[in-house]
Amino acid sequence: MTAGNGILLQVSGLTKRYGEVRAVDGISFSVPRGTVFTILGPNGAGKTTTLEILEGLRAPDSGEIELFGRRIARVDRREKARMGVLLQEGNFEPYLRVKEVIGLFGSFFPRARPVNEILELVALTEKRNAFVKELSGGQRQRLALGTALVNDPDLLFLDEPTTGLDPQARRNIWSIVADLKDQGKTIVLTTHYMEEAETLSDQVCIMDHGRIIAAGSPRVLTARLGEETIIEFTAPGMIGVPVVPSGGKVRRDGDAVLVEVTDLVPALRDLLAWAHENGVPLDNMIIRQPNLEDVFLSLTGRRLRE
Amino acid sequence: MMALLHAEFVTFARDKAALAFTFLFPILFIIVFGFIMGGKGNPRLGLVLDGVPGTTLLSVLKETGGIAVTRYPDRAALEEGIRKREVDFGLVYDGKALVFVYDPTRVQDNYTFEQTARGISTRFDLARQGALPAVSVREVPVVKASGNWFVRVVPGVIAFSILSAGLFAVSGHLTMMKERRQLDRFLVTPMRPVYLLAAIAGVRLVVAYVSAFLSLLVAILVLHLEFSVDWVRYAVFVPAATIGSMGMGAVIALFVRRPESAGNLANIVAMLMMFLSGIYFPVEVMPSYLRAVSAVLPLTYMADAMRDVTGVMEISAFEFWGITAALLGLGVVLLPLLSRYIVRADRG
Amino acid sequence: MKGIVALARTHLLTSLRERVTLFWFIVFPVFLLVILTLIFGNIGRQGGMNFQVGLINLEDRAGGGPDLAGIVVEAFTAIGEPRDGKEPLFTLHRPGPGEDKQGFLTRAEEELRRGKLTAVVIIPRGFNRAILSGERAEITLYVDPTRDGSQLAAAIIREVISGIDREILVRTGRFDQERAVPVRSEPLEGGPVSFSYASFLLPGVILMAFFTAGLFGVPGAILYARDRFQLRRYWVTPLTPARYFIGFTLGQGGLCLLQFVVLFLIGEYGLGAGVDFSRPAAAAFLLLGFLTFLSFGFLIASIARTANGGMAIANILNIPLMFLGGLFFPLGELPGFLQAVVLVNPVTYIAAGLRVGLGLTKGTISPIASVLVPLGWIALSILVAARRLSWEAA
Repeated sequence: MTAGNGILLQVSGLTKRYGEVRAVDGISFSVPRGTVFTILGPNGAGKTTTLEILEGLRAPDSGEIELFGRRIARVDRREKARMGVLLQEGNFEPYLRVKEVIGLFGSFFPRARPVNEILELVALTEKRNAFVKELSGGQRQRLALGTALVNDPDLLFLDEPTTGLDPQARRNIWSIVADLKDQGKTIVLTTHYMEEAETLSDQVCIMDHGRIIAAGSPRVLTARLGEETIIEFTAPGMIGVPVVPSGGKVRRDGDAVLVEVTDLVPALRDLLAWAHENGVPLDNMIIRQPNLEDVFLSLTGRRLRE
Repeated sequence: MMALLHAEFVTFARDKAALAFTFLFPILFIIVFGFIMGGKGNPRLGLVLDGVPGTTLLSVLKETGGIAVTRYPDRAALEEGIRKREVDFGLVYDGKALVFVYDPTRVQDNYTFEQTARGISTRFDLARQGALPAVSVREVPVVKASGNWFVRVVPGVIAFSILSAGLFAVSGHLTMMKERRQLDRFLVTPMRPVYLLAAIAGVRLVVAYVSAFLSLLVAILVLHLEFSVDWVRYAVFVPAATIGSMGMGAVIALFVRRPESAGNLANIVAMLMMFLSGIYFPVEVMPSYLRAVSAVLPLTYMADAMRDVTGVMEISAFEFWGITAALLGLGVVLLPLLSRYIVRADRG
Repeated sequence: MKGIVALARTHLLTSLRERVTLFWFIVFPVFLLVILTLIFGNIGRQGGMNFQVGLINLEDRAGGGPDLAGIVVEAFTAIGEPRDGKEPLFTLHRPGPGEDKQGFLTRAEEELRRGKLTAVVIIPRGFNRAILSGERAEITLYVDPTRDGSQLAAAIIREVISGIDREILVRTGRFDQERAVPVRSEPLEGGPVSFSYASFLLPGVILMAFFTAGLFGVPGAILYARDRFQLRRYWVTPLTPARYFIGFTLGQGGLCLLQFVVLFLIGEYGLGAGVDFSRPAAAAFLLLGFLTFLSFGFLIASIARTANGGMAIANILNIPLMFLGGLFFPLGELPGFLQAVVLVNPVTYIAAGLRVGLGLTKGTISPIASVLVPLGWIALSILVAARRLSWEAA
């Protein structure tokens, strides 16, 4: 099997075991050039191990990787030179200055973009002489992104790039990633945030227990739930399940009650009648289209974020 | 309050570095330094009689007393013996001149050896001319303990470990808490900062007690030293010294904000005091300006008081209680300053 | 290549910028060098020592004759006066006019016991008569044998009195100065005649600086970088652990070179150590020391699971290895277990080798051992590090 011209990264039958546990269990997927490919899944689903293999931190037990048009057993220096990686966890020397960090990482690559260009790109020009330890969380993350971009990579791995950041810092990162996508960079992303996955991704694959349980564009994936609409409300301490004679799947998720319906108007009428009879206030009720979270919930019966 | 004490104690016990510093260091210091600098018994002389019977010299050496003499066949063997520390210095006599041989690297001891050598040559000269000395010296040891140099070092080291533990309790621990914003968490509770300080002080007191006691125990059991500890004075002095040391630590913490810098300064202060307070090295041999420094260092007096407590040296009751009260006062005056420091949380 | 240079620069820069490391690697060695030289560099020199000496003359001069006791008092008074504007050797404490001498004696004894006086000299009653009648007069000297200072003072006092004794003998015609045996002192062969403590100490402190930098710097920098996932960020780039290692080693070398330059300048020009480091053997032992302590640091980094664990190990090893390596004071015979530490301690061999290489001492350790034992430690460290050192956080 050879990847077509448009495919930058193709993986087939990738497996990694830790003792008896199959962290990654024979997964296959392909990432077209110039697209954002997102891997979704709860902790322990095998996302991180998959990324670590592709970033060259681990060797797979079996499976094939085809990267930059070459078939390889594991990712090595040659590939790393064309990749940029933003790790989920990681620090820099606290007593290095911002520009020195960029310069240091640039020196690891055969070719590197000028430090000033990178600083401009991640909006840290003003902080160029600051020590790492003086940076805020968002600034540190932008610096990390800068080190991932220093070699002008063809392929970029972003592992949970906005976890732990405040909304403003998160939007900053999103806008940088959107720019990179516009420049035609290929990006592999993992995230916990549905909004992030839905707005940035071209393709999404959902992993659970080391396997890919669903893949496709966000629209295609949500469409798998059919022509459904979701009515959601909170009802703390409610006993019993609402009866919707006109049809609909009812699920409890903590205090939240989710009713999936195909025909909204009669279902809503039934629900209101039931609520009236039983004295349920239907707090925080919203009516919305299904999202990736619902897809995961319907596939596994669990939420992405535990 | 008990919970705070407990938390403080657990934090301390978990901090391996702090544990090592407080318990292991003084003991290590006592043992290692004690053996390196110690063993100062009678000088050992290596003797080479080069082709002469040297009867007069031998009898002079015998009469002199206090000198252990070892014979060597020739100068090369003597020098090897000096290098290997079988003897401290050497004497070669060929019937014409007395040649003393010494190891120039023993800077601390050579002065004493030189004096001993002069004494030998003087007595030898007299003996050769059949003269008896007109004036001689009778030495009377005046000392409280039946001990040696080493007995004197141990209480000094204990005083030093109390000082450094107290210094670091404040300058290291507290500034670290501040930097890590742990203090802020206390401040949002109705807890008064004084209680936190009291908790820290309380734990350190217990630790100082145990540490000082352990050091003494090691000195007695491992090194077979004898002390006659005045437990009443011990019970009063150790807490006073601990609180006083924490007061000094408070001064450092107030002047230097950053925990690393405070720790470094505390280190320098502690080292300076250790070297200049006459714990290991006699103050008398230092140049006058260092002696002046020594006279104003609290550790000089803490060591004196600790020697008194352990029965190694006797100081007047006035002095002992003066030192104890001064240390206690230092702590009582300076420590509360810290509670203002805690409150003045700078969010830089 | 540029990556290696950049890493070396990073290691050097961060070591100097971080206050804790700057302090222990640069400031502290300088402090130790200066303070120890100030304390021990002056022993036996005029103006460098001062003893508080009590002097009591109990002679009542019953029977008349020349005042020999007075001569003794004068001799001590002369020593107690400042010479050339320098502080005198003795500060004399004598009973005031009209003061009860026995009372003073009791008080002096008390003060000696309390550490206020260093020694007390007592000229007995009947001193004159004893000498004039040809008997031996005895001066009593109170000393505190537990105090180094007191013993030193006693040695000086004995020497002063023996000088007076000789003077009396010469004057009374009992001793012929002309026939005295010539006396001289010679240092051990192989040692320089003019020897200063600074020249002994300087190489020791330089090695201590290297030792601290290796023992704490290596596990500190590498394990913290590993545990905080700093290294992980390197491994996703084309940088390999081998290159990182070379860059780190170069940086550490730069750090040690800086330590050497600072200490050398202060020791040489500030304290007048007068040590010739340009000798090939000396340079070789400095390099050997650097490499041994570097690999020692890697050994600790390999054994420790975490950075904090590594620092704890380094702390525990630091004191015994530093003080039982003969860096600051020559080591004598030590009891068994301490002697064992001395014998396996690489510091012992490097310090001895360096001092021999500098021509300061002849040394008791064979040159072969002083090279082979450190090399053995390097080999052991490489072996353990190759098997156990992990570049990834556990």
